[in-house]
Formats: sequence, structure tokens, C-alpha cells
Amino acid sequence: MFPRSTACRGAQRALSARAVHPSQRRGLAAPASGSFQYQSGEAKGLKFASRDLAGQTTTLALVAKAGTRYQPLPGLTEGLEKFAFTNTERRSTLRIVRESELLGAELNAYHTRENLVLEAKFLRDDLPYFVELFGEVASSTRYLPHVYNEEVLPLIHLAHKKFLASVTDIAVNSVHSLAFHRGLGVPTASSSTTPYTKYLHPETIDWYSKIAFAKSNFAVVANGADHGDLSKWVGQFFDDVRATPTEATSEGTEQSKYYGGEERIAHNGGNAYIIGFPGSSSFTGNFYKPEIAVLSALLGGTSSIKWSPGFSILGNAKASPGTQVKTTSAIYSDAGLLYTTITGQAKNVALTAKAAVEAIQKIAAGQISKEDIQKAKAAAKFKELEHGQDVKAGLELTGAGLVHGSKAYQIDEVAKAVDGVTEQGLKAAAKSLLESKASVSAVGDLFVLPYAEEIGLKV
Amino acid sequence: MSRPSAGPFIMARPWLKKWVQPLSNWYNNAAGYRQLGLKVDDLIPEENDVVQLALKRLPPKEAYDRVWRLRRALQCSVAHQLLPKEEWTKPEEDERYLSPIIQEIESELKEREDLEAMVLSKRKQNAKEAGAGH
Repeated sequence: MFPRSTACRGAQRALSARAVHPSQRRGLAAPASGSFQYQSGEAKGLKFASRDLAGQTTTLALVAKAGTRYQPLPGLTEGLEKFAFTNTERRSTLRIVRESELLGAELNAYHTRENLVLEAKFLRDDLPYFVELFGEVASSTRYLPHVYNEEVLPLIHLAHKKFLASVTDIAVNSVHSLAFHRGLGVPTASSSTTPYTKYLHPETIDWYSKIAFAKSNFAVVANGADHGDLSKWVGQFFDDVRATPTEATSEGTEQSKYYGGEERIAHNGGNAYIIGFPGSSSFTGNFYKPEIAVLSALLGGTSSIKWSPGFSILGNAKASPGTQVKTTSAIYSDAGLLYTTITGQAKNVALTAKAAVEAIQKIAAGQISKEDIQKAKAAAKFKELEHGQDVKAGLELTGAGLVHGSKAYQIDEVAKAVDGVTEQGLKAAAKSLLESKASVSAVGDLFVLPYAEEIGLKV
Repeated sequence: MSRPSAGPFIMARPWLKKWVQPLSNWYNNAAGYRQLGLKVDDLIPEENDVVQLALKRLPPKEAYDRVWRLRRALQCSVAHQLLPKEEWTKPEEDERYLSPIIQEIESELKEREDLEAMVLSKRKQNAKEAGAGH
């Protein structure tokens, strides 16, 4: 143990330094280097962006506007995702796998509600190889029936099983479908076998690939690549990709509308209770509200500090330490959902749900200390900036920003917006949550889990 | 398994094709499978992994038709009879529906073998750098 005087002196010095030179402190929002900034460009109609982080590795992503929101038939996004990096006209699956292994690369494909992302991580020198590979995957993947039957379908079926086993997944998808109905409300995994037994065929996936992988519908984003190099290779290897979709689909393109409501699903694999409210769109969208990010940090639930429940209201108000609470501000291109997920024992979940509603009422009434708001703002800003530094999230957001609004996601500006949140704004935001209809989804032991009306919510 | 065939060699040379075609037609008719309503690919021995996989990859309709043809032929064989002439397989119907799939699987297997036997060599640029380091 070090003597108390030393520790105190250090703390005092830190405090006084802050007090004396507040203006000299460089805010997190204004990093000295411009490394957070993506440079964007366009090569033969294809949008791309890159930032040259110092380092030996590169992460390359192809972000297509083909998430579950935009799929014209259920299951198409999943099908397309699972078909990524399989046989193309020029190379077999095995060759792609072996070649990537030899280069020490990682290949990955995943989808979110709005985007389908193909991702490759590799050594910096191998950029041309992977840009070429992405060009091939986008333009000439062969959607063969036997690959579908032997490899793709079992994976989709497993995803379905996994989805059914997880109460949290079911609740999250249920709350989205309550909030947005179609479009953003479409579940990210098949909730029944109907989508892939009834609608999904290799020919349909092939047809959809010609829409999803048209130049106007996807963007290429690189982290840790020289912008000049990327623009050169992108210009060279994406010639075979069609410029416009074969068919214009309107699915999911209309402005998302918030509905709200309540859904209760019996499940014996645990308990999950989600309370959702209309949230903020992404920064590149038109409905950006920085207050929601701060509100989400203020409600919180999970602690970012060890050995402490954290400052967040729900972190302190939850019924037992074993109850898990997490507030998420899910942002999409033109809408958002602020939701609190509560999992644990049914009784504790019910108590915590009540506490969550009370917490929002408290914020709306302005009964929150200034200090807590300060902490929440700092946490929200940190989360945002960290999220941006996190390569994976940054890639998807940037790609989506390019495809949707030809604007790359600029983290610095987001952080600045979070800084500008006032106490009044926060109060107003909380009030507006309570006035709007909530989306409440209960999965698990329905005997114990409360109805939305019982905990004081309007649905 | 796909059989070794002089077909491609002959098809590539029109003069040779003109010579051999009548012979081939005669042979195919004399082989007798058409009189039982079979197609030439029905005769490929199926007791091995490659053909089994190829059969799995057949489109459902093709697979159904194949089984139907085989059963009809077996029935004929048991009864020591040929089909009535109008039900014989016509030469233009006698297409190869299974061989392309078998060839594809074989080329997949061959590629796998080739990749297993691959010898790695350093890229010239990297080799130079490594050499300079020592």
C-alpha cells in the first residue's frame, strides 16, 4: 500500500491542473492527427473510403445495402451472406480458402438490419489480391444448387436454431418488429423455418445478388490502406460489377415509421424483457439526436468499471446483482430505437423493469444530479469515440453512410454533438419518450413478467 | 466415374466426325440400352463416392426420372421384353445429364489434391528483403 498522502497529493495535482488550464486540454473530439477521418472517393461509379492507420495490417470491407431491412423476400440476406466467398466463375471455394490462408488473412461475412458486410483482414501488401477477390465475389459468385443444399442451407438452419434458443435475440427482434413493423422490423435471423423452406432458392439468391451487388448499392471501405492504392485497385477490379441493379426493389426504402406495442412470448430458456422507445438515427441520417446517446448512457445498466455497479441509474436500481441490464441506442440510417434489455430471474426482471420506467420518469422530471449527467455525457462520448476506433463498427458505419447518403461517418463531429447536449435537452428527450408509445417485449415466464401497463408504460 | 473418351478429339475435327458419326450411331443403337428406355448416363456404375455425390446433386426432377427409367428397364429385363418401339429412347433425348456433374466433382477433387501437393516459394520481393536482412 502506498501512503495516503502520496495518493492524495497526486489526485490534488491532477485536479488543480485541470482547474488551472481548462483551455489547454485538448478535447477528445479534436484529435491531433486526422486519422479518424475517412477519405472518400469514387471510381467508375463505385464509392469507396479509406483511412491510412499506421500499421502492418489492413481491414477491407464491402458494405452492401442489403440487410434484412431491404430484402424483398425473407431469408435472402442470410443466403447472400452465407454464399459469400464460395465458388466464383474463376475460383473454387477451396482455392479462395487456401489462398487466403497462405496470405494469413481472415475472411468474414455478416449482416445487420441494414447492411450486408463482407470483411477481410490481411497484411498490408496483399491489398490488390483482396480487392480483386471482393470484385469477383460481387460480380461472379456462382449460386449453385448443390452448394446451397450442402453448405448454405445447413448454416441458415443452425442460425435459426440458435435464434430460437436465445431469449435475448428473440426479444430484440420482437421489439424491433413492434417498433417498425416491416423494414427495420424484419428479424435478422429466421424465426421460423418458413422463410428458407418457402421463399429461398439458389436462383432467387442469384437474382438478389444482382441487385445487392450493383455499384450503386455497395461501397468499399478500407482501414489501414493508402487511399491512392485503394482507388487504383478499386478502379481496376470492379469492372465486371453491374452499374445499376437489374431491378429496382422498393422494399425497405420508405422512411421508417415508429409504431410501438407489446408482445409476449412464452419461452422456457430464460427471461428477457425489453422496453424500447423511438431513438436517434445515425449521424449521417436526418433524425440524429445526440440526447438519446447520453440518455442511453445515463440509464445504462452495465458497469464499465470493475468492482462497482457503475454510476448508471439502472446499474444501481437493478433488483439483484445477477440481473443483467443493458441500455442500447440502436441507430439506423433513418430511425433508431433506444431499448433497455433486462435478463435474469423472472422476479428480478419484473422488479427491474419497473425501476427502469421510474428512472425515465425521474430524468423527465429533472431529478438527476448534474454530476450524473456529466458522467453520462463523458461515457456516451467515450463510447462513441471508442466505437469509431473499433475498426469493425467504423467500417460498417462508413460504408453505410456512403451508400445511403454519400457521406462518410465522421466520428469527431459525432463526439462534438454529444458534447453539446444540455440538461434541458436531456429532460425534454426523456419526456418525449414517455409521451410516445413504448415497444415492450417479454420473453420467458409470462406468469411473472409484467404487462407494459402494469409498470406504467403507454403502449 | 467418367470414362476415358475419344469424343472431344473426334468432335474437334469435322472430317473425322463425319466418318465416325455413323459408326457411333450404330454402336449406340446396338448397345441395347435405348430399347429399354435408358439414357447413356444411366449405365455409369454408381457404387462409388463420386457418383453418389453427383447423384445427390441432380435436380429433383432429373433424379426422379432416372429412378423411373431404371425401374422400367429392370421390369423389362425381368420380363425378358423390350419396350414398344415408340417408348425407346430417341437419339436426341439421349443426352448426358450426369457426366458434367461427375466431371465437376472430379475436378474439385483434383484441385484439392493439387493444393495438398503444393510447394510454397517466397515471393521474389520478400525473398530479396529477407536475404538483405542477413
